[in-house]
Amino acid sequence: MIGVPILEGKYAATMDLYPQQSKEFNRIYPFYEHLKQGRFTTTKCRACGRKSFPPRVVCPNCLSEDLEWVDLPTRGKVLVFTEEVTGVPLGFESPLIHALVDLQGEMKLFVRIVNCQAGELKEGDEVKLAVFPVAPVPQEGRGGVVMQERVYYAFEPVK
Amino acid sequence: MERNVCLIAGGMSEWGVREASLRDMFQEAGKACFEDNPAVTNKDVDGLIVASAYTERCSFQTHLAPLVAEYLGIKPKSICARVELLCASGSSGIILAYGLIKAGIADVVMVAGGEKLYMPQKWEVFYSELASVDHDWDGAQGLGLPPPAFAMVAKQHMKLYGTTEEQLALVSVKNRRNGLNNPRGHFRQPIDLQTAMTARPIVPPLKLYDCCPVTDGCAAVILACEEKAKDLTDRPLVYIRGTGQATLNNMSANMPNWTTWEALKVAAQKAYADAGVKPGDIDVAQTHDCFTISEIIEYEDLGFCEKGEGGLFIQEGKSDFGGQVPVNTDGGLLSCGHPFGGTGIRQAIEIMKQLQGRAVRQVEGARIGLTHNLSGFIAAHTVIIYGRDKD
Repeated sequence: MIGVPILEGKYAATMDLYPQQSKEFNRIYPFYEHLKQGRFTTTKCRACGRKSFPPRVVCPNCLSEDLEWVDLPTRGKVLVFTEEVTGVPLGFESPLIHALVDLQGEMKLFVRIVNCQAGELKEGDEVKLAVFPVAPVPQEGRGGVVMQERVYYAFEPVK
Repeated sequence: MERNVCLIAGGMSEWGVREASLRDMFQEAGKACFEDNPAVTNKDVDGLIVASAYTERCSFQTHLAPLVAEYLGIKPKSICARVELLCASGSSGIILAYGLIKAGIADVVMVAGGEKLYMPQKWEVFYSELASVDHDWDGAQGLGLPPPAFAMVAKQHMKLYGTTEEQLALVSVKNRRNGLNNPRGHFRQPIDLQTAMTARPIVPPLKLYDCCPVTDGCAAVILACEEKAKDLTDRPLVYIRGTGQATLNNMSANMPNWTTWEALKVAAQKAYADAGVKPGDIDVAQTHDCFTISEIIEYEDLGFCEKGEGGLFIQEGKSDFGGQVPVNTDGGLLSCGHPFGGTGIRQAIEIMKQLQGRAVRQVEGARIGLTHNLSGFIAAHTVIIYGRDKD
């Protein structure tokens, strides 16, 4: 017998690599809805104008809750990158490529690069948002168990 | 009235890949701590702070402090709680114990910390590390703990300041040599420069010996108010002189600067000001060498040398015995390993022994010592300054 039999068929959120994205579990769920539309977004404070990333429900500058969703650039340039060979976490393949991407002066995002072979990426390369599906969550509700579809994002070379 | 606070005892379990549980190792560390100073017993301790980051993930155990108290025969009445700041959990415990004793809320406090990280299947520790960065945003990008982040730091530092892979390797050669000074450390074999330079890549430019290992282990120290300390030890008193703990960001996208650690400068300036000392006054330091590049940047941002000159600082032997300020005299994380909650406590033990003149390899005449931890995605920095003199 392998594993813990009482957990067979159970979903353990404590072991989940990806965040909970449904509106029942996350007030910033529009971020993930936008991702599904190919948009990379965050929140901006209507009171003081501060744009924050990751998205918030309270402005960290003035503490206002009057926030709006704004689009971020979906293309950027690789400033520096590295290819992780050893100790790649379960759920990722080796080499796992990480890059610091200049998002058109908006921010420097440290992000995973997908759809890219080892040795292919160069500093200065242009990369773009890549949205991909991740495992859905079986979420219990009044009507029974609903599979919540999920997505996540990385960047990929512009070819 | 504010009171002076002294470190009066310290001990460690064996650190490494241990055939032991978390609670086994807390018992070993507690016993070693009491054996270090037989004048203080578990009956003298009125408070216990336990530092552990992965207890919930790796041992399925919360409410850890009362468990450790029960196992060590301590009956706390002033404080009995756990503190977590990942790699700086131990130093955070020491700062909190210091504050409580200084304020008169506690008199004699044990700070015990450590981790059980090796699991029946090895993937689990790397997977758990995804919880230690911002899980929803950095963890989901596959950023576990450090190697990729520090590889990026190293690349940028090399580009900006001309730091070389050989200078990185020299840090591991020094710390592996110093590791012979800690009989409880994870690695106790020296390495030479060629071995370090030709080791297999982990995340380029970082190679095997540029990275600290995953380690099981616990450590414990006892702090006491000066009046009690005088009764509870015959050794020279070691005072906590100053502390600083700073953070300016958590998620990677909000990092103000990758190669100058602004939060470290803030924490160090606060600790130096508290202690009334300057970087040049530090006789011995234990800094957070989770990776070789970290120690090089720490020389700079702690003010031991100018910005960008950390590579030269190691190359010229200024952080070795006989140099300007010997760093990681017990081998640091690179030799001793890094069971997160235990590391700050191990550093405190080495500084205490150095200032009491009883280290395995002694920095002659050391009177002021410093410890530093970074934690998370280089997101928080903790600095503590110890002295043989109270001010």
